[in-house]
Amino acid sequence: MTVSTAKPTRGKKRKRAKGVGTGAPPWEIIALFILPAFLLYTIFMIWPLFQSLYFSFFEFKGLARGGFVGLRNFHELFTRYPLNEQLPRAFWHNVYFFIGTMLIQNTMGLLFAKLLYASRFGKRFFQTVFTLPYLISALVVGYLWSLMLNPLFGPVNQILRAIGLESLARPWLGDPATALPAIILVNAWQWVGFPMLLFSAGLANISNELREAAHIDGATSWKLFRHIELPLLLPVIGIVTVLTFIGNFNVFGIVWAMGGVNGEPAGATDVLGLVFYRTAFRGGVDAFGLASALAVLMFIFIFGVSMLMLRYFRHMEENLT
Amino acid sequence: MKSTLFKLTLFLLLIVMLAGCAQKPADTQAPAQKPAATQAPAQEKPTEAPKEMATEAPKAEEMAPVTLTVWSWRTEDEDAYNEIFDVYEQAHPNVTVEFVPFVATDYNNILATGLTGEGGPDVVQLRAYGGLQPLVEAGQLLPLDGKVKTLSNFSPDLLKGAMGVKDGHIYGVPFGIQTLAAYYNKGIFEKLGLSEPTTWDEFINVLETLKKEGYIPIAAPAKDTWMLPIIHDTVGAPRYGGPEFEKKILAGETDFTDPNYVASIQLVKDLQPYMPDNVVGVSYQDARTLFLTERAGLFLGGSFEVGYWRNEGPELDIGIFRVPPAPDSVLDHPLTPGWMDGSYGVNANSDAKEEAIKLVEWMGTKEFGQMFTEKIKQLSPVPGTEPKDPVLAQFAKFYEETPASYMLLVDFRYGDPSGTTLMGNGIQKMLLGEMTAEEVAQSLQEGISQWFKPKQ
Amino acid sequence: MSQHIHPSSRRINLASIGANVLLWGYAAIVILPLLLVVSNALRPTREIFKNPVGLPTSPSFESFVKAWEEASFNIYFFNSLLITVASVLLATAVSALAGYMLGRYKFRGSMLLTAYFLAGLMLPFRLAIVPLFLLLNDMGLIDNRLGLILVYAATGIPFSIFILSSFFRQLPKELSEAARIDGAGEFTIFGRIMLPLVRPALATVIVFQFVPLWNDFFFPLVLLRSTDKWTLPVGMTRFFGEFQADWSTLFAGLIITTLPLIIIFLLATKQIIAGLTAGIGK
Repeated sequence: MTVSTAKPTRGKKRKRAKGVGTGAPPWEIIALFILPAFLLYTIFMIWPLFQSLYFSFFEFKGLARGGFVGLRNFHELFTRYPLNEQLPRAFWHNVYFFIGTMLIQNTMGLLFAKLLYASRFGKRFFQTVFTLPYLISALVVGYLWSLMLNPLFGPVNQILRAIGLESLARPWLGDPATALPAIILVNAWQWVGFPMLLFSAGLANISNELREAAHIDGATSWKLFRHIELPLLLPVIGIVTVLTFIGNFNVFGIVWAMGGVNGEPAGATDVLGLVFYRTAFRGGVDAFGLASALAVLMFIFIFGVSMLMLRYFRHMEENLT
Repeated sequence: MKSTLFKLTLFLLLIVMLAGCAQKPADTQAPAQKPAATQAPAQEKPTEAPKEMATEAPKAEEMAPVTLTVWSWRTEDEDAYNEIFDVYEQAHPNVTVEFVPFVATDYNNILATGLTGEGGPDVVQLRAYGGLQPLVEAGQLLPLDGKVKTLSNFSPDLLKGAMGVKDGHIYGVPFGIQTLAAYYNKGIFEKLGLSEPTTWDEFINVLETLKKEGYIPIAAPAKDTWMLPIIHDTVGAPRYGGPEFEKKILAGETDFTDPNYVASIQLVKDLQPYMPDNVVGVSYQDARTLFLTERAGLFLGGSFEVGYWRNEGPELDIGIFRVPPAPDSVLDHPLTPGWMDGSYGVNANSDAKEEAIKLVEWMGTKEFGQMFTEKIKQLSPVPGTEPKDPVLAQFAKFYEETPASYMLLVDFRYGDPSGTTLMGNGIQKMLLGEMTAEEVAQSLQEGISQWFKPKQ
Repeated sequence: MSQHIHPSSRRINLASIGANVLLWGYAAIVILPLLLVVSNALRPTREIFKNPVGLPTSPSFESFVKAWEEASFNIYFFNSLLITVASVLLATAVSALAGYMLGRYKFRGSMLLTAYFLAGLMLPFRLAIVPLFLLLNDMGLIDNRLGLILVYAATGIPFSIFILSSFFRQLPKELSEAARIDGAGEFTIFGRIMLPLVRPALATVIVFQFVPLWNDFFFPLVLLRSTDKWTLPVGMTRFFGEFQADWSTLFAGLIITTLPLIIIFLLATKQIIAGLTAGIGK
């Protein structure tokens, strides 16, 4: 019952397939272990996803499926006005969202992890505090920050004015130039604890012998970080990047809560998740066929790019070792 | 101490069973509904229904209790509706009406799937005009013509809002009318010596005075795009010609790029100096708060706001006026754009169709209409109902005198993209300086023409 | 103890002051908005309208009582708890079984199966809402808590298998071999020996599933109908409409919704950090 044995990673040099048994149990036993998860996952997750693919080739009237229409739904996505303008715009906003999140949220996460790794006091306190917003629903976070950033009544502008930064007091969510960056910041506020915890875990896994060796060689702490820790964090960076990518291309709640269903102002915060939502639930009679087609394109893109990213990071790791 | 797995599975089973048990209370209601269901075969012929209803009416009193679930997007009206349905329940002891409101922004998404499967509603609040069509085409609503006698209380024009465009059947009993005008703060007007403007010059003068005195003249929200076509029609309907233009565009004799229509859009831009700074950052709720806290003199909006002003600012003294026609207007008098707000229909999948039909039939009576207008503070379309609220009564009077259609909603929501969406997005961009009035009109025309075919 | 972590230099003090300023500064950015929520929940709405950032002059818990009773939060709370706990336990149980097999043994198709499960991490599942609705409708699981539990459990499987299998992989082989010599079957080894050893991973998996499910409003909105089955976030959306101008009660509702998560998280932080640390270490 002791937990201590659960941390065998440190000290022991890792050997591939260290604990993995060679003689697999008979297939009935394997099946008994795997089948429950397999069935649940396949029926309730994979099957509906496949259905989306199938539905995308049909015409819909409300929820009633009509005839086979080939690629017409896909064609409509790129030709029907204003969808043909909104779709590419939303796509680039997602790209922007991803880059912004990588630069701000994940860099901050890494910085905090590094600072906390070095500090002896208050580590748990800061880790807990920085992760707190993650526990709050995106809707609530969006609502809260909409109030904070409100141009008429919000405290952020009041505080800026009070400390003499009048020029910075602006309608953050009402100006197309600042609305998306503001949402990216709020999203980072909510999520920064996640990369921080993962990077903390990664740093804790780097053996101290390496650090000591570097220290004896006279490396500064920046050099230690740049040449020892950062390369060894590559697998974590890979995981964080892929998870951020998936999360950002699916982003919905926070944008919906702060920019509304149309990604206001003037579509400046419109993202693919909102386009899908509008197409499926605000569109005309044939909405579900179109929405399925859009869902299929998003599946393919998100899945495909994630796989490429994973392969790229694995490749980089192999080059390093 | 056996094994953790064992304990875990046991606990899990327990939880799943608990989930199953917790289900029970709801399930026990189902048998109660069954008798009604068996007596209402799904494919009855519409014309026979009233007869059946009549013969079965006495039996219904002895029938097992029925619970009718009513879905709505009016979370703020929950208490009022419960009071109204209490009256119905007293007259129909076997019926319990459960009113379930959903948040308005998600109502469409809930309805899209909501009418299929278990536990759906019996009676549904339906969006009007185009918003109704997906449900009709999916066959999820019961046609009510020939079954609901009170439908004859309503004019054909009103019933258009509850009609399936393809089959011409009526699918709902209208519950409300909305009309548009300009609200003003009487206290502020008095203090500044202002009166209701009757010409455009007087209107501009009012705005100038308010601005000079440090008020925000018009509490306009431009963050929520759905308000922008409303502001446009409140200000610009006489400029483009209202009903005359509507007739022409439906007949294909003109389109939205008509110079008069473009000029009506430009009016919104011309009024921007009188709106709050950074108007595109001001949400609907912010704008209402500005008017409520007496920081703004005017609010361009609809009769649907009356309830909100009364609840949140009971001490606020408000009046309304029609925005006078702008120079070069096609019409020489102001207009009051209005529309049928929605209707109550019956789920084709309901277990208790007959009782549901009786309920919506009652919703077309004067008894319901009068309670609706008094308790919910909106206009009832039932003839003979009289709003008690003076402002609401004023709206009704305006609409009677100078009626017009809120055209983008009434006629241009039958396809995707809808007229209101295009106009909202367009005006927002115009206020940001990204589009001109011509471009807004063009984008509206381009979007609409993808599905709109004028009748010859 | 710590000299190997940081090279001692004269700049260390300056650096650590800078670090502390940064950490405390950011902590303030996190905590102040949250405090604002708490403070506003204790003030009457009129006061909030006048001055959104102020301290409560005479704190009152009236809004909490109102949220709890009038907004039926007691019912929603029970439903949320039931649905979230059941889904998380179901997903964790089946994932522990599968993760054990996939992490400990290599057999034909094991790589393929692992990839199949992990693919779920990358699939935007929300987009499949329409087919999912039709599927549950065919199974008679609409407006049924069990239906939602099964869906939620399925969505939790990829992440849980990802973490748990990497954990099982790291446990020393000798443990199971010794037990096998004693004549223990596969299930006994799993349940008695292996499972207790991956407790940090279980904690991680449970918390990281719990949070998004507790906060989700999208699936229950479409899949549940009767108000007596609604979960907290769905209740919140209705509550937003009903009390749209009663900010005080709104804020109280927000607190009631979030508090359980904060408590769970505070209790489990240590385990989570241990779990992630080992999970990252391959």
